[in-house]
Amino acid sequence: MQQAELTNNDFIHRYLNDLRRYLARLAPHESQEVIREIESHLFDVIEQQEAAGNSVDVAVILRGFGEPRQLAAQYIAHIEEGAPPPRGFKAIQNMKKSVTATMYFAMAVFGFSTALCLLFVAGAKFLLPESVGVWSTAHGNSIVVGFVSVPPMATPEVMGWWIVPAAAMLAMAVALLTRKVLGVLKQHM
Amino acid sequence: MNPNEALMEKWEVQLRKGTLELAILAALQQRTLYGLELLKLLQSLPSTTITEGTLYPLMDRLKRDELVDAQWLQQGDSRPRKYYRLTALGAQKLTDLTRLWRQSVADIEFLLANPGPQPLQITGV
Repeated sequence: MQQAELTNNDFIHRYLNDLRRYLARLAPHESQEVIREIESHLFDVIEQQEAAGNSVDVAVILRGFGEPRQLAAQYIAHIEEGAPPPRGFKAIQNMKKSVTATMYFAMAVFGFSTALCLLFVAGAKFLLPESVGVWSTAHGNSIVVGFVSVPPMATPEVMGWWIVPAAAMLAMAVALLTRKVLGVLKQHM
Repeated sequence: MNPNEALMEKWEVQLRKGTLELAILAALQQRTLYGLELLKLLQSLPSTTITEGTLYPLMDRLKRDELVDAQWLQQGDSRPRKYYRLTALGAQKLTDLTRLWRQSVADIEFLLANPGPQPLQITGV
């Protein structure tokens, strides 16, 4: 009995949570009002069925309300002026979603590996000071940055040991920026 | 379901859809009801049976159109319920829709009551 009640409540909470999500375009107090009324209805029906000695199947009661997404669509129809979304709409949304997921991982790999490379450059300067640096070549028309096996001949290295804090800070900035962008992408996944 | 039954059902759905607002306004005539009461009342009549998923969003629209207003009330030990009643605008709309409905029923009754082959006397054109 306890178990059954728990399951019924779980059902209701899941349903109402889904509904709340789909009602996000309403003002918070409006969506709260919708949820409260439906919640009150559901518990009333359950109570009445229990009082009549019937077994309660919340799934059957919820069927009368329909899918949360479709129910919510009727409540927000007045906001979505113009025609309802075309039939293929859901597929388009899914496609956008998967693009975002791909972007999310591509962004993560790109951002964090860039940060790691910069850290590696900063660290390598201690091990191979001659091979790590920034060189200005071809009379300032071109520069070589980073980790080279043979330093460009007869060109002065520009940064010296400054490359260590500069690369480390840049690494940190890139990592932070990546995290921020990932946070934004996550909201749209 | 044979094609004829399917057509019948389609017609019934259309009819119910078209008259639903009138049915709800009529149910709330000089009466306050909360959602579940209203639903049970409508479901007890063969031609006004609707689901929860139709009723509640429709009540939301009627409220937005100021045809009904709603109030949360708690009676005794029961949980608070949202009670609906007609506004003055809603009562006016009920009067207008009732007139249209009665005219429509009278017209169709007239046609049904006067089969051929005798030509019908057309008046008022």
